[in-house]
Amino acid sequence: MRKGTSERLPEADLYKQSIARVIAETSQREDPVLTRIIFQYLGWATFWLVVGTLAGGLVALKFRFPDFLDAPFLSFGRLRAVHTNTVFWGWTSLAMMGLALYAVPRASKTELYSIRLAKTALWIWNVMVLAGILALASGINNGNQEYREYVWPLFLLFAATLILHLINFYNTVVRRKMKEIYISNWYILSAFLWTLVLGTIAYLPWYQHGLGQTVIQGYYMHNGVGMWFTPLAVGLTYYFLPLFLNRPIYSYALGVLGFWTQLVFYTLIGTHHYIFSPIPWLLQTIAILFSAGMMVPVWAGTGNFLLTMKGMGGLIRRSYSLPFLLVGIVSYGIASAQGTAEAFRTANLYWHLTGYTVGHAHFTMYGFVAFLIWGGIYGLLPRLTGKEPPVKAVGVHFWMSTVGLAIYVVALSIGGTIQGFQWIAQNPFIQSVTAMAPYWLWRAVGGMLMILGHLVFAYNLFHMRPAAKAARALEAGGQA
Amino acid sequence: MNFHTNPRLLYLTSFLIFVALSLAIAVFPAIEASRVPPTPGLMPFSSTAQRGREIYVSEGCSYCHTQQVRPIPADQVFGRPSAAGDYAYSTPQLLGTERTGPDLINIGNRQPSSTWQLIHLYNPRAVVKESIMPSFWWYFQLKDQAGPGDVVVPVPDPWKPKGKAVVATPDALALLDYLLALKQPVLGTTATGTGK
Repeated sequence: MRKGTSERLPEADLYKQSIARVIAETSQREDPVLTRIIFQYLGWATFWLVVGTLAGGLVALKFRFPDFLDAPFLSFGRLRAVHTNTVFWGWTSLAMMGLALYAVPRASKTELYSIRLAKTALWIWNVMVLAGILALASGINNGNQEYREYVWPLFLLFAATLILHLINFYNTVVRRKMKEIYISNWYILSAFLWTLVLGTIAYLPWYQHGLGQTVIQGYYMHNGVGMWFTPLAVGLTYYFLPLFLNRPIYSYALGVLGFWTQLVFYTLIGTHHYIFSPIPWLLQTIAILFSAGMMVPVWAGTGNFLLTMKGMGGLIRRSYSLPFLLVGIVSYGIASAQGTAEAFRTANLYWHLTGYTVGHAHFTMYGFVAFLIWGGIYGLLPRLTGKEPPVKAVGVHFWMSTVGLAIYVVALSIGGTIQGFQWIAQNPFIQSVTAMAPYWLWRAVGGMLMILGHLVFAYNLFHMRPAAKAARALEAGGQA
Repeated sequence: MNFHTNPRLLYLTSFLIFVALSLAIAVFPAIEASRVPPTPGLMPFSSTAQRGREIYVSEGCSYCHTQQVRPIPADQVFGRPSAAGDYAYSTPQLLGTERTGPDLINIGNRQPSSTWQLIHLYNPRAVVKESIMPSFWWYFQLKDQAGPGDVVVPVPDPWKPKGKAVVATPDALALLDYLLALKQPVLGTTATGTGK
């Protein structure tokens, strides 16, 4: 991203020219109707990102200033769920669905089966996210059960959207104009299938009571990440990384290995969120065992992506999308290794139930998933609309989000460890609260940087918007 | 017929593997865990306590307060290690994944004072200076003059609003009932139904 020095090189000028040519040519070829709907997905996702992270910022401040804005609908216990659900469903999911609207048909060398289905799905989903925010802020929830806090009528909207996308994507893949189903579509379509099963199991009430519900909670919250966000993010990267680098993926076989091991290993490890709980010890041990097994799909993916990027340092430095992908890929590897380490019983003695886990959660969902999304958006949108974002502003977004995340994760990792040691020393509980105070403050500082970065991102997204309908009609008329 | 060229085969296989593994690792163990009988001596919640429990859930209390004592020394302060039967009457489950505040599975035994609990709900910092818990002032009424039958909360200065009486609403009293009902039955003794 060091534009200042590279811009003076003639090589860099050539690069800029060639990028501009690629963008101009590809945007002519793209279907403006598909471009508009993708932009609507990304625009709404960005809106929810800003709303969701503002809620997150307020939650972070309340750790230091508990009486700040203490209206009922802004109280910590309600706002935390607003934050997590809005960034999960409103931002991350919607953005990846939007990117998939391009990746699924293009990886099949065909057109999207139905624009109308995609439009309908967007509005059902938006209604769900908005109703979810209002309900959670009013104290209406499905128990304090992470990421299944939406009440069941909203889950019906959730399921309906997944089904619409499944119909759309499956028919697109069936109509593919190539023999093989490209690996990105293995991951993306499966994510929709798996999450439909996952949500149904989580929301059916009549077989889970008391501790039985906790068994499902571990399975659900873990696989929400593992069978929805991860396969979507990895699948999209299998499409976008080769596209942006203009070279094939390093190893197709590693992608296939990653797919099957992800499916088998990830599904089994939810109980590692309840180590030392009264959930049967055998389930806990299986979860720990396969958490170690997770290193196979994680390094198959990370290694594959890094080897695909190998030797492209010059290109990555000058690109404004590839640095985001690089941070996302590296975070995927490191944060997942961290997750495996946290699963062991010894690590649980120190870190379980502390702020350390919250740092880990942000390392994965933000460092890994959000950065891959940004890489995808900055790489894709200019190709669709022919408009580039202001390069300096992309740099500002990149560094605010990267530095913000680094501060966030380091602060909570150190603070969480101290919290754990306070409990082990059997000091009075309140000492673990006061000891965390400076680290909570630093976490809020990191969070504020991230939020500012999102505002800059929203500004950049606006610069990449497609031309208005009237302008396009005029252009088309002029050419005819 | 292979995964690379046959979408029906590919997606059906990935779907069925996920369903089979989910049944084995989550659904069947959950059915079994749901059938664990209550720990001897565990009392079902009264209707008021149950109402209090719903408020507890609605306010997201368990994002900071776990309800599980692990069999490790660090958790001894909260009570005996939790057993599966302790949760027989607890749906939605509230074991929690983060412990910013203390564990509450046995709070009825550890802090049985109604007065302390009510002041703490009204403003936690009035009893624990360093606390960062939200104050749940909206479950209390400020009255110029407390009426007969009102439960007046003796909030100390300077947290007490000047010239006003802090009165607990029925919701606050329900929440209190729930907190006081959170008691771990003692293991290894014959249940008498009276608890501890």
